[in-house]
Amino acid sequence: MKFKNLIATASIMAALMGTTAHAETVGPMGEAATPSTTIQVSDDKVAELKAGGYKAALLWHDQSDFVNAVTLGATDEFKRLGIEVVATTSAGFDAAKQRSDIETALAKKPNIILSLPLDPVTSAAAFKEAKADGVKLVFLSNLPKGYQHPEDYAAIVTDDLFQMGKQAADALAEAIGGKGTVGWIFHDATYYVTNQRDNAFKTTIENDYPDIKIVSEQGISDPARAEEIANAMLLKNPDLSGIYVTWAGPAEGVLAALRANGNKTTKIVTLDLSEPIALDMVGGGSVAAIIADEAYELGRAMAAAGARALVGEETPPFVVAPAITVKTENVADGWMQSLKRAAPDSVLSATK
Amino acid sequence: MEGLRSITRKLDLQHYVVYLGFLAIFAFFAITLSGDGFLTTRNLSNIVLQTAPATIMAIGFVFVLSAGEIDLSFGSITAVSALAGAVVMQDFPMVIGIAAGLGAGLAIGFFNGLLVAYLRLPSFLVTLATLGLFAGLARSMTNLRSIPVINDAFTGFFGSGALFGIPSLILWTLGAVIIGHLIYRETRFGAHVIATGDNPGAARVSGIKVPRIRLAVLMISGGCAGLAGLLYAGRLQAAKYTLGESDLMTVIAAVIVGGTALNGGKGSVVGALVGSLLMGMLNNGLILMGLSVSDQMIVRGLIILIAVAISLRDTGR
Repeated sequence: MKFKNLIATASIMAALMGTTAHAETVGPMGEAATPSTTIQVSDDKVAELKAGGYKAALLWHDQSDFVNAVTLGATDEFKRLGIEVVATTSAGFDAAKQRSDIETALAKKPNIILSLPLDPVTSAAAFKEAKADGVKLVFLSNLPKGYQHPEDYAAIVTDDLFQMGKQAADALAEAIGGKGTVGWIFHDATYYVTNQRDNAFKTTIENDYPDIKIVSEQGISDPARAEEIANAMLLKNPDLSGIYVTWAGPAEGVLAALRANGNKTTKIVTLDLSEPIALDMVGGGSVAAIIADEAYELGRAMAAAGARALVGEETPPFVVAPAITVKTENVADGWMQSLKRAAPDSVLSATK
Repeated sequence: MEGLRSITRKLDLQHYVVYLGFLAIFAFFAITLSGDGFLTTRNLSNIVLQTAPATIMAIGFVFVLSAGEIDLSFGSITAVSALAGAVVMQDFPMVIGIAAGLGAGLAIGFFNGLLVAYLRLPSFLVTLATLGLFAGLARSMTNLRSIPVINDAFTGFFGSGALFGIPSLILWTLGAVIIGHLIYRETRFGAHVIATGDNPGAARVSGIKVPRIRLAVLMISGGCAGLAGLLYAGRLQAAKYTLGESDLMTVIAAVIVGGTALNGGKGSVVGALVGSLLMGMLNNGLILMGLSVSDQMIVRGLIILIAVAISLRDTGR
């Protein structure tokens, strides 16, 4: 469930950054974003790391496709650096379990911990012991309250949320020929991740595409209701050129509404990879593009940041991994780049 | 097979399965994880600290099951109590916060108990409903936000503190187990709870006020869940609506493996403690073995299945 990651990611960022959309993704303390590709371990340090016999623990918030891809990215990088992954845990969104997982993992004396802190308040106490033990902490998307860079943690790594929303706007604009009317289905909740992406889409359309008008705005809090919402939107605006949907789950409902209405002209753009959405796209259906994050790269950058901190190299406080626009022509590469895994067979065979 | 069964019956294996299982798994981890920090004092005390809230919920659950009832709502009670305590402590002294937390637990237990004992509704359905009801309340109370607990006295008393070098969570566990065990085994009330669960009709005939017992056990469960909520709040120095949510299965498994009958009339508080420690030790050891998260779940499930199968065999469930 990709959406659950969004929820987890949301809490602290919302607290730290307010809810206004920024023109670009910035860190909790307003730090500028450093592209993840610049976080590399130099060859001379690799030998030093290999000789160190270092250990790492991956203490996640939950299990999902996204977490699997992050884990794979981190483990591959750790393997390259001769760092052994000694423990992997999932807290199932339970703050108390996350605290226990941290304590348990510390028995194996890891030098690096990669983790998504469940929320700033509960995780501040949870990571204290690890911090006191001198473990290099690299956080995914969230930051425990009051933690300072670089003394308390090595880096926060996250998606480039603004880019994801902007690329969604660019892709939809391209699909409808740069003019027309669009519907905006946004996540109606105060969740930083979805709010940032949704607002970036809106800002981009409003600022960069004068011939495109957002004529309908609908919030959604329950993905299961997406079909109803899309039906109502299409009833009022039967000739919509395009619809932005906040993430893939509700986009499946919007797709169902278009199909039920026999609508073959309205284009959909959404975020996060999903097999049914991709299948419609490659079959020349309503979906024009999917914006995905680079989950594997997030994991790789987290591992590299931890390793750099271990050998005393500087690490930037706030690192973002790029977004990818996935269309029919790059679906195989996009899937591989995002999740380091081949796209589902159904999708690949439909492109042939 | 018959011979084996008679031998196990003679030894009353079911009675000791939790202790034997605990020792077997402890020995297994001690040998296989000897170089991985399993046997360090810090790790072993972590297991006790981490299981403290679940152990206390399990004690309440022993009383409820023994009386022939069930309480599925204790996880939600834990969250409501932790949040009530944390919210109140933002403006009032610690004592009032503690009273709010425990009071919330007892009040919800009282509510469950009234519906079960006096409206004669089945406890399974009542507490299934209140599980959702109070989970929703916990979410709406603070709008899904976590509430920090910055009262040092409180976090020391319920979480990170120690007395004579013994962590407070261990003292709470010991205290609750001793008191629970004494009430369960040594008082008339404890005997009435067991008699009610064994045969409510016979209990009524012999003069036991069955509805009052049912109300009492659900209040005990609510009170224990309330205390567990305060321990979580102390340990995390914060309260959140998710606290206790995932403990239902762990606590049921701990209590059943610990020798409490699912349909009442038989139970053990000490067994529940050992069952709870067994669950905590499994979580701990499987992580230290370096298994993937999915594999940890599979192995844990299989071990619990074996333990429950042995402990329920021949007992007529």
